[in-house]
Amino acid sequence: MFQLADFSVSFGTATALRRATLDIRQGDRLGIVGESGSGKTMLALALMGMAPDAATISGRLTIDGHDMTHATEATWQQMRARRVAMIFQEPMSALNPLRRIGDTVMEPLIVHEGLSRAQAQARVLALLEEVGIPDPAARLRMFPHELSGGQRQRVLIALALACNPALLIADEPTTALDANVALRITDLLVRLAQERGMALVFITHDLAAVARTTKDIVVMYGGDMIERGPTAQVLSAPAHPYTQGLLAARPDPTVPPRDATGKRRRLPTLPGTVPPLAALPQGCRFSGRCSVELPQCAGTRPTDHALDADRSAACHLLGATP
Amino acid sequence: MWYFIFRRTAGFVATLFVVSAVVFAVMNILPGDPALTILGLDATDDALAALREQLGLNQPVLARYVSWIWNALQGDFGISHSFRVPVSELIAERLPMTVSLAVAGMIFTLVIALSLGIGAAARHRKVGDWGVMFISQIGIAVPAFWLSMLLVLLFAVKLRWLPPGGFAGWSDPVAAMRSLVLPTIALGVVQSAVLARVTRSSALEVMRQDFVRTARASGLSRRRVLWRHVLPNALVPIVTIVGMQFAALVTGTIVIENVFYLPGLGRLIFQSISNRDLPTVQALVMLFAAIVVTANFVVDLLYVVIDPRLKART
Repeated sequence: MFQLADFSVSFGTATALRRATLDIRQGDRLGIVGESGSGKTMLALALMGMAPDAATISGRLTIDGHDMTHATEATWQQMRARRVAMIFQEPMSALNPLRRIGDTVMEPLIVHEGLSRAQAQARVLALLEEVGIPDPAARLRMFPHELSGGQRQRVLIALALACNPALLIADEPTTALDANVALRITDLLVRLAQERGMALVFITHDLAAVARTTKDIVVMYGGDMIERGPTAQVLSAPAHPYTQGLLAARPDPTVPPRDATGKRRRLPTLPGTVPPLAALPQGCRFSGRCSVELPQCAGTRPTDHALDADRSAACHLLGATP
Repeated sequence: MWYFIFRRTAGFVATLFVVSAVVFAVMNILPGDPALTILGLDATDDALAALREQLGLNQPVLARYVSWIWNALQGDFGISHSFRVPVSELIAERLPMTVSLAVAGMIFTLVIALSLGIGAAARHRKVGDWGVMFISQIGIAVPAFWLSMLLVLLFAVKLRWLPPGGFAGWSDPVAAMRSLVLPTIALGVVQSAVLARVTRSSALEVMRQDFVRTARASGLSRRRVLWRHVLPNALVPIVTIVGMQFAALVTGTIVIENVFYLPGLGRLIFQSISNRDLPTVQALVMLFAAIVVTANFVVDLLYVVIDPRLKART
């Protein structure tokens, strides 16, 4: 349904997303994992046609076979909500504070499907029920500030689902929530995707959440998609040095926090930080921070190496040792 | 919320009393003997003394203040020295003129400023935005009286499209509106320039917020997002300025009415000051002050209507 081919988003000389290739089909549950600045939010915005005005877009994006790469705002308005919808990471500020919940969720139904207020209200009640909001009839008349963070995120999910999108993008939907609330929201997303046969793109840096939620993942670094495959396989046997480092940095609950001599153990970390967009190396984005350094790393962009039928990683190491 | 409204109302009444005391004090400190002004320099001492007695000028200041307030509350502002009729009649006669002008100026300001301000915000850092900023800068810099004269020269004297001044009342609505066009523009240009800038910056502020992105992600058109989501959230600073501007518009009528020969309160206050007509000046200054205080009071109440979060907090 949604296809990206060699899709890039850049600002002048800085490239936020480099030659991304992605194929999202009905029923997919895809995790996009990476640090801040890895290009995962830019990818989501590109799928919504909401890349900033200053961005230059190249490559190809098709939705249901239609080329949307340079589609007009009016064309995108027809796609948003009905084909692709998105929920954002800050439920506290993502709802218009001056509008009642009901009016907010109703709006796309009235605008896109031409429903009357009464019809829209009936649909909204069903939606709020579906996303697990208790006593929806009373919530309808409430303002966002009267709801908790978890409730607001549920309202935003209801809003995104209002016009039955084929794809729901969740951009770090649980980052701002308590751990137990976050868990219930991710489970809700999976349930909704399964029940509705809707594709789900789950963007996060939370590896536990991605393991719980998705069937496949794409690991991103510095605007590149560096590794992809079935979630369980990638997480258990990462191929790219960056993915390996990312997984090693997870706290392991079976390892006691202090070692035999009583010294506090430190979590392994990746050396350095993600460089600013304009300062990323031209070749492999990870070169300079990587534990291995081949001569071609800094200058040549590694291509995807197939590891399996549905697994690949972009690293020169994999090309060198077949 | 009711406590908030009660507090604001109490503050409103208290402010009005302070204002009345200040107005009364200033009028009484001013040099000049009303009796002498009325009777002229040739008046005999006996006649002056008799008139002072009749006007109550011999009573202590506090007693005169209390009786002024007491009568004013009942709509009696005394007799005008120069027109020899009750001040309340003078005001009632001229109030519709000034209210028409101020309301027309406010509507003009709101329509021009909101569309220019929101339009500029939508075209942030593009030609349209710069255009609005440039024009509004000129609008702010132009003095109203000078603009009035230019408007009269061009549209009344040269092109003869509109009357140069005067107002014959609302019995002929078309003529009334025609004579209000130039004064309204002269009165509203500065205010709409200021408000357009406030609207623009307030809207830009709101457009950065997350819920605007949510609205766009719901497939709403840019226009709908701007007018239905951005504007309501940008209203609090706008309403604050509009409240101050309404006061500025009402006092601005003094200049405009004099330039365009409009028989309103502004012209009346100007004439009364020239005539040293103390009761009229005092009543008018009080009236203008009351309008300003009321405008601010209404703005305070509007905040609660605009933002439901304040209702919960106050």
